[in-house]
Amino acid sequence: MTTFGPLAFLVPWALIALVLLPLLWWLLKVVPPMPRKVSFPAIRLLFGLDTDRKAAESTPLWLILLRLGLAGLLILAVAHPLVNPSHRTLAPGDMLIVVDDGWASARDWPDRITAVRNLVSLAERQDRAVVLLRTAPQDSGVPMEHSGLMRAEDVGRQLSAMVPSPWPVDRGAAVQTLSDLETVNQVFWISDGVATDNDTAFLTALQETGDVTIMQNHDSEAALVLLAPVDENSFLQISALRAGTGPERRIWVAANDDAGELVARQELVFVPGESRAEALLSVPLELRNQIAQLEIENEPTAAAIVMLDQRWKRPPVGLVAGGDIESQQPLLSPTYFVERALEAAAEVRSAPLELLLDQPPAVIVLADVGVVPETERPALDAWLEEGGVLVRFAGPLFSQEGDDLVPVEIRGRERALGGAMSWSSAQRIAPFDNNSPFAGLLPPPDVLIDRQVLAEPTVDLTAKTWARLEDGTPLVTAEKRGEGWLVLVHTTANTQWTNLPISGLFASMMKRLIDLSQGAGAELGDQPLPAIQSLTGFGFLAPPPASAVAIPANLFEEAVASPETPPGLYGTLDLRRTLNLGETLSAPEQLLVPDSIAAAGFERQEELDLRPFIYGLAALLALIEIYASMALRGLVPSFGTGTRLAAIPLLFLLLAPDAAQAQDELAEDGIPPAALDVRFAYVLTGDEQIDRISYAGLRGLSMILTARTSVEPGEPIGVEIETDDLILYPLVYWPITEDQPVPSGVAKARLDAYLAAGGILIVDTRDADREMEGVTGTGPNAARLPEMLGGLNIPALMRVPSGHVLTQSYYLLTGFPGRWDGGSVWVEQHPGGLNDGVSAIVIGSNDWASAWALNDQLQPLYAVVPGGERQREMAFRFGVNLVMYAMTGNYKADAVHLPAILDRIGQ
Amino acid sequence: MAETAVTFRRRAEQLVAHLPPLLVEAEHVAAIVAQGVHGRRRVGPGETFWQFRRYERGDAATMIDWRASAKSMRLFVRENEWEAAESVWLWADASASMAFNSRLSDSTKLDRARLLLMALAVLLVRGDENIALLGTDKRPRTGSAALTRFATRLMHESDAEPASLPQHEILPKHAQLVLVGDFLEPIEKLNAMIKHFAGLGVIGHLVQVLDPAEETLPYAGRVLFDGLEREGSMLASRAEALRSDYVSRMQAHREELSRLTRAVRWSFTTHHTDSQPQAALLPLYINLAGQMS
Repeated sequence: MTTFGPLAFLVPWALIALVLLPLLWWLLKVVPPMPRKVSFPAIRLLFGLDTDRKAAESTPLWLILLRLGLAGLLILAVAHPLVNPSHRTLAPGDMLIVVDDGWASARDWPDRITAVRNLVSLAERQDRAVVLLRTAPQDSGVPMEHSGLMRAEDVGRQLSAMVPSPWPVDRGAAVQTLSDLETVNQVFWISDGVATDNDTAFLTALQETGDVTIMQNHDSEAALVLLAPVDENSFLQISALRAGTGPERRIWVAANDDAGELVARQELVFVPGESRAEALLSVPLELRNQIAQLEIENEPTAAAIVMLDQRWKRPPVGLVAGGDIESQQPLLSPTYFVERALEAAAEVRSAPLELLLDQPPAVIVLADVGVVPETERPALDAWLEEGGVLVRFAGPLFSQEGDDLVPVEIRGRERALGGAMSWSSAQRIAPFDNNSPFAGLLPPPDVLIDRQVLAEPTVDLTAKTWARLEDGTPLVTAEKRGEGWLVLVHTTANTQWTNLPISGLFASMMKRLIDLSQGAGAELGDQPLPAIQSLTGFGFLAPPPASAVAIPANLFEEAVASPETPPGLYGTLDLRRTLNLGETLSAPEQLLVPDSIAAAGFERQEELDLRPFIYGLAALLALIEIYASMALRGLVPSFGTGTRLAAIPLLFLLLAPDAAQAQDELAEDGIPPAALDVRFAYVLTGDEQIDRISYAGLRGLSMILTARTSVEPGEPIGVEIETDDLILYPLVYWPITEDQPVPSGVAKARLDAYLAAGGILIVDTRDADREMEGVTGTGPNAARLPEMLGGLNIPALMRVPSGHVLTQSYYLLTGFPGRWDGGSVWVEQHPGGLNDGVSAIVIGSNDWASAWALNDQLQPLYAVVPGGERQREMAFRFGVNLVMYAMTGNYKADAVHLPAILDRIGQ
Repeated sequence: MAETAVTFRRRAEQLVAHLPPLLVEAEHVAAIVAQGVHGRRRVGPGETFWQFRRYERGDAATMIDWRASAKSMRLFVRENEWEAAESVWLWADASASMAFNSRLSDSTKLDRARLLLMALAVLLVRGDENIALLGTDKRPRTGSAALTRFATRLMHESDAEPASLPQHEILPKHAQLVLVGDFLEPIEKLNAMIKHFAGLGVIGHLVQVLDPAEETLPYAGRVLFDGLEREGSMLASRAEALRSDYVSRMQAHREELSRLTRAVRWSFTTHHTDSQPQAALLPLYINLAGQMS
C-alpha cells in the first residue's frame, strides 16, 4: 500500500502502466477508425475520385483524449485507490472486535459503527477472520455469545443491523464467552467509556485472548443519565449525572407533554469537577401536570429520558357531600369550593362514600357529613390505617349529629361569632405554628370565621391542633390513625360559616393536606403490568421486544432495565407505570484504562473505496466513446434524433407552466376575482337570452346600489352550479327556465352547503304574468321548481308576512314587484338559527332581473307590466332591500324592536 | 429432381402471390395517368365516332352519313377516331445494381422500374396497343391475357444473372422501345446499345431510375464503398469530400446519355425512387403517344 495524503493505492505497481499511455496516444493517432461498409451501385462513378485528402483520416484529438482517459481510469482502478485508509497493520491471526452496545454507546453510535467498519475492512484487506462480541444482553433472550469466526463481508452485513440496547452492558457475562477463541490473536474493544463492576475481570480475559487495544471516542463527551425528578414543594427537582468529572458542561432538559410538545426547558450546569447537576423546574402546577416526559436535549440515549407516571401526577381525591338536594347547587354545595381548590392539584371524584371506597383514592374529603354509615366504617377505618387521608369539614349536619370519627371530641353545639346575639366579633385565623403542615402560609386578614364547632379541651388538644383562630380555639385539628391522617376543619367547606373557602389560603391549605398522602392510596398487589411500549437504545418509544415480560405491580420498584424488563411504559389502561433507565442505573463512572493497555481513538472518517466510482466513470466514458466512434463512421443518424430526444424534457418544461396556467384560468394571481369585491352571481341557465337578462339585471341593481347605498358591488358573474364554487357570492340569482337541466346531486350538495354557510338563493320563476292574465294553475317554470330544488335542504316556506325584514331592511315596502307585479314571494317559515335567522331562500315569480336591467346610459331595457316608473322604482327598492337582507342578516330585524328598546332604556 | 420441382413450385407461388399486388398497383398508377391523357384525339381509322364534316369533293360516297345529311340540305361525312395499334417493346433492367435502396427511399430501383413498366403496359393494353417484353417475347400481343403473360414474364427471375443492358435483338422497323434501368454502365456500352436499336429504325424511350442516394452521395466519415455487380470496392476516408465531384460526374454521365438519345431522337427521362411513380409515367406516356402520331 502506498499513500499520498488521504489517498492510498492498494496495488501501486499498477500505476506503472500509466507510462504506456503515450504509446497508446501514438497508436490511436496512427490507426484510423474502421470504415463503414456501404453497398453502392454507382461505384463506377466514384472510381478515380480524389481520396487522398487525409485531413480527417486520423482520429480527432478529443476522441484520443477520451480514450486515453478511459485507459488511465482503468489503470487507476486496477491500482485500487482508497480514501482515508486505516494505517493499522494487523498482527497475524484472527481478530476479535468487542463492541459495547449498551445505553451509553447510543450517543455516538454512528462513529462506533464507522470505527468497527474500518477495522473490518482492514481485516478484509489483510485477510483475517473476524469475531464480533456485543457486550449488552440481546433482546432476543438468548444468552450472550460471540459471533464465531466470520468473513469480513458477513460482519459488514451484521453491522448494518446493529443498534444499541437501552440497558447497560454486562461485561461479566461477556467474560464467559471468551473461553473458546484460540485462533484470535488481537482484540479491539470499542468501549462506551462507562465503568462496570466486572471491568478488571473482563480486561484480564481479553488480554488472555490476544493483544488488546481499547478504542474510545475521545471526541464525544461523557455519557449522561437523567434521574427521576423529585417533587420539591410544587417544583420539580431535576438532576442529571455524568460519567466521571470534567470541565463545565451545560445541558438543557426539555419537559414534553403526552403529544411530545415542549412544555418547559431547564438548563443544568455541571460544575467543573462535579458529576452531578441539579436544577428546579418551576412551572405552574397546571403545566406541570401535563409533563409526561423529561429528556436531555441532543442526547439520544435511553438514559437521557425519564417518563413520568401517576407517581408524579395528581393524587386522586374523593369528595363526599352531606346535605340535601338543594345544597347540591353550585356555590351552595358543601364540596363546590373544595373541588375548585383541588382541581389543579388533584384528580377529584365526587361520589357516595361506598363507591369511593371500592377504589380508594389517596384523600377523601367529607364535607358536612354528619354520621358515616356503619356499613362503611370498617372499610374506611382500614383505608385510614393503610395511609389514607380523611379530611372532614364541619357544617350544620355535622354539628347536629356527629359521630366519633373525629380527631378531637366535639362539643354539642357550634359557636356563632359576630352575630347579632354574639358578644364577640368574627375571628381571624392566627398565624400557623411552625410544626403545622400549614407552616409558611400567611392567613390574610380579611378571612373571617363566623361559626365553628368547638373541641372539648383535652390534654392533647394543642398537639392535635394545626390551625387556630386568633382567640386560640382550634380551626383545624388532626390525628394520625395508623399510616393515615384524620383531619377535621372546624368550619364549613362552603361560605355558610366563613369566607375562608373563597380565599387563596383555602387552596393552599387543601394542597398541603393532600400532600400528606403518600402516593396512590390503593395497594397494587401482584397484578402483572405488561410492557406497553419500550424505549429503544436511541430513546424512541417502540413496541416492546420479544423478551419483555410483565412486572408484578408490587415488584415494580425493584425492576431494573434489562432485556426482560426494558425501560418504557408498563401497565394497563388505568394504571400506567414507567420504568426509567436512569432510575435503575447506579451512578455512572468513567472507565479507567490501565496504562499497560494500548488505547486508541476512533477513526472518524470511514474508509472510502474509490474503485467502484472509477469503474462507473470508465463505463460512462466507454459509452461516450462508442457513441462518438459510431458518429464518426456516420452510423449515428446525425443530430436529428439527438435534438428530438433532448426536446422531450424541454417539452415537459414547456407543458408544465401551461398546465398550471390552465388551472388558474379563473383566478388571477391565485385570487378568485369574487374574493376581492362584493359580486352578485346568477345561475347560468344555458339560455343565452335569459343569461343576458340576469347579467344586465344584476348589473343594473349593482349600479343602483352603488348610487344609493354603501354597497358597491363589482361586475356580476354567471356561475355554473355544477362546477363553480358559490361560497364567495353573497347572493345568487337563479332564473328558472323550462328547459334548464336539473342540477346533479353534486350540484345540489354544493347548493346546500352554500345555503348552510349563509348564502342566499333568489329563485325567480318569471311567470307572474300568468297570474296577472288570470291563467290559473302552475306555470311551466313554477312546475319545474320541485325537481330543480328537490333534494335541497329547504325548510317550510311562507308568503312574506307583513313586517318581515325584507319589507324594511332599507326601504319600507309593501310589495315586491319586478317586471310583473302581484306574484307572491316566499321565504323560509322559521328562518333557521344557523344563518342569523335570515331566510336562505327567496322564491318569487316577478322576473326581477328584467325590471332591474339597465343599459350603460341607465336606461331600462324592458318595460314593466302593468307599468309606470313607480313599479320599476319599487322593483329596485326590493332589490336594495334584498341585498341589505343578504348582507346584514337579522341586524335590521332589531330595528323592528327599536321602539320597545328605546322605551326600555329611555327613562 | 424433386428439389427442383419444389423450388419451381415455390417460385411459382411466390410469383402468383406477388403478381396481383403489382397488377393492382400498376392499374392504380395507370388510372391516374389515363385521366390526364385521352385517346388520339384525331381523325383516323377506327370504330368510335369522332366528328361529322362537310362532304368534300373526293370523298367516297360510302362515307356519307345519310341520316345526318337528311337533317339538312347539306351532305355530311362521318369520321371515326383514329385507332391504330402499334407494337411497343418493353424492357426493365433486373441486374444486381437495381436491387438497391438507401434510407432515403422506400422501394428498390428494381421494384420501381417494374412498377413503371407494368403500369405502362396496362395503359398501352387499354389503348389496344401490342406489347412485348424485350428478350422474352417473340411478337407483341394485346389484351388482358397478354397483360397477365407480360406480368408473369416481367416478374420471372431467371437463374442466370440478368444483364444490365438488353441483348442486341432485331426488332421490326418503327417499333417503339421502352427501356427502364439505371444506365450506370460505361457510356460506350450505352452508346453501342442505342446505336444498334436506332439503326433498326426503332424509336426508343430511356427511363433512368435512380435512388436519391445515388444523386447526392449522402454519406460521411470513413466509408468503404462496395459495388453490387463485382465492380470492386473503394475506401473513402472522408466520404463527404467526394460528394461534389461525384455529383458533377453523375451530372456529366447523364448529360452524355441525354445527348446520345437526343441525337437519335429518342426520349430520355430520369426518375427517382423517392418520388411518385406516376410522375415518371405521365411524361413517358406522352412521349410514347407523341411518337405514335
